[in-house]
Amino acid sequence: MPDAGSLAEGLASATSRRGFLGRVSRVLMLAAGGSTVSALVKPGEADAYHFCGHIFTTDSCPHPTGLPRIDAHGLPLRAQDGKPVDNIGRPIDSAGRPLDERGRLLTDPDGRPLPPAPRTRLCVEAVAAEFRIRTWVDGSWYRCCGGRVRKLVDCCTRGRRRITGDAALTGYCYSGRKVFCVMYYDTKIPC
Amino acid sequence: MLTSVLVVAAFVAGITGTWSPCGFSMIETIGSPRRRVFLSCATFALGACAGGIATFALLSSLGSWLSTVAATAVAGLIALSAALAEARGAAIAPQIRRQVPEHWRRRLPLPFAAWLYGVLLGLGFTTYVLTFAVWALAALVFAVGDPAAGVAVGLAFGIGRALPIVSIAPFVHRRFGTSALAAIAERPALLRRVRVADAAALVLVAAALVVGEAHGASNLGPGTDPSASGDLLAWATPPGGVLLRSGVRTELPGRPALGGSLVAWRNGSEVHVATADSLTPVLDLTLASVDAIGVSDRWLVTRERDANGGDVLVARPLQAPEDVRIIASVSPPAQIGRPALDGDVVVYHISARRSSRIVAADLAAQTSRVVRSTAAAQLTNPSVLGGELLYVRQTATAQRLELGSLAPGGGNRVLYRLGAPARRDPGYEPGHSRITRTPRPKLAPGVLWTTALAPQIAYVTFIRRNDGVASIVSVRR
Repeated sequence: MPDAGSLAEGLASATSRRGFLGRVSRVLMLAAGGSTVSALVKPGEADAYHFCGHIFTTDSCPHPTGLPRIDAHGLPLRAQDGKPVDNIGRPIDSAGRPLDERGRLLTDPDGRPLPPAPRTRLCVEAVAAEFRIRTWVDGSWYRCCGGRVRKLVDCCTRGRRRITGDAALTGYCYSGRKVFCVMYYDTKIPC
Repeated sequence: MLTSVLVVAAFVAGITGTWSPCGFSMIETIGSPRRRVFLSCATFALGACAGGIATFALLSSLGSWLSTVAATAVAGLIALSAALAEARGAAIAPQIRRQVPEHWRRRLPLPFAAWLYGVLLGLGFTTYVLTFAVWALAALVFAVGDPAAGVAVGLAFGIGRALPIVSIAPFVHRRFGTSALAAIAERPALLRRVRVADAAALVLVAAALVVGEAHGASNLGPGTDPSASGDLLAWATPPGGVLLRSGVRTELPGRPALGGSLVAWRNGSEVHVATADSLTPVLDLTLASVDAIGVSDRWLVTRERDANGGDVLVARPLQAPEDVRIIASVSPPAQIGRPALDGDVVVYHISARRSSRIVAADLAAQTSRVVRSTAAAQLTNPSVLGGELLYVRQTATAQRLELGSLAPGGGNRVLYRLGAPARRDPGYEPGHSRITRTPRPKLAPGVLWTTALAPQIAYVTFIRRNDGVASIVSVRR
């Protein structure tokens, strides 16, 4: 019979700290109360899907710059730096005018600022318009991601299909609605 | 034209597949039982078309995301190489030495088995390949990157694969069927001729590709704000403007706009209208805050600044320039775009934070209507000619020069396309799954800006991203 201490050391050195602790916690849960309890407890920092905190396969809501980061009002932010972006992905100033990477106003050849593009709320406006469905932002869940508390937000519909075309899940949606696509909002709260 | 010759090449390539082991097997498999032959023919044909569409639509869809100008050049070279090999009757390489599963015809109802066989043969790359054209078509469809063309090519390929088989199978027990099958089996010259036809079709495709590229976008040189009328083209340059007539350049002392038989230009607050052929003065005005102009035989339209910094669009009849008519006005940061005229119709964009729209106003009837509108993208810099509207649509993933009917809700055709207007992230966070459908288009090297529409050619200003240098790009309509 292998030595328990060396087994634990081997596991810890062969896998990430998070993975090791996750496995240990699941083993303890199984020992304590079986798989049902284990299934109820999700890891605090999910690492399986395409962005931190997201723990299932529903895809991102279509976002102007890719990763579905939003602000507190549901408007799109650029994931890498949290700057507000318009619906065509350009960083913008407070008046909605597009900026270059250094924060200067983009101008036309005459030196006139380029016109603002629309900026709409990702779920309840952009997704609703693109897919011609009615959408809601219902509940949400918070996890620790990259040292800050992140709010995971589901964009919900009454339909039974999600953005990937297959069956939708309930997720954080209420009133029988299902998750159509997912977004996130990064708080400034350390964790 | 390119799609048409691709369809022809696909059809001939499909027919060539009849000489494959699977092609022969299908004739006998479907025709020999003498039961449900026509039903099996129908299901086989449907399957072949479905398979063809699946393969070529997938390739074209991938190409629409990934293809580049270099890929088009490579595909053209592959087509020419394949044509040469076909003309010489070279052995096919790479070859796929596989056949459809024989046991299906024993274990499955024949019409269903025929459908499955059709799908496999239609897919093109699951069994023996009898012509280089199949490989070349794959490269071409990918390079062209037009899903509609992919569907058409797939359908033509499927029809080509099915047609000889469903034409002979019902008669395989009769003299005609036996003779036809014998001719296919015993006269290699027939296959040789079909392969020569493959070669000819591929040469046509390569030629169409070259012509298509030649008729694609070409850079006319530095400048901005093009306008066109008949065979005249004018655009702004840093010192003023250029009027181009039959290859002859005339320098203008201001930023020009063409319309009907007239040309207008502005130099600071001075606006001049003259005849385009002889530059005979028609009207001279001083407008303190003008920063864009449009002209037609009856109207001068200017964009001016109001006291609050907002844009105002003003129309003046050339016969009575004191009759000032305000067409539209907005408050900052919303903007009105450069006006463009055709007769009594002026088109312009209004860009705001909640919506982006293109408006067409009839100056004679004093009416206006929104002809395009969106909150998901940005629509800018329209021009109009003969009931057709040209404008730039920018989305988060692409910039497109679109041509369509001036009528609201009219369909649009993309004349020119660039990548994303702003840098995008990969759609996943580092250390997490890369599995996401978030598109990852390339960042465009610049921005599409003002447009002009001529009977045969569309023009658009291209502003380079790294240094802001603008140039005029022409695209054949």
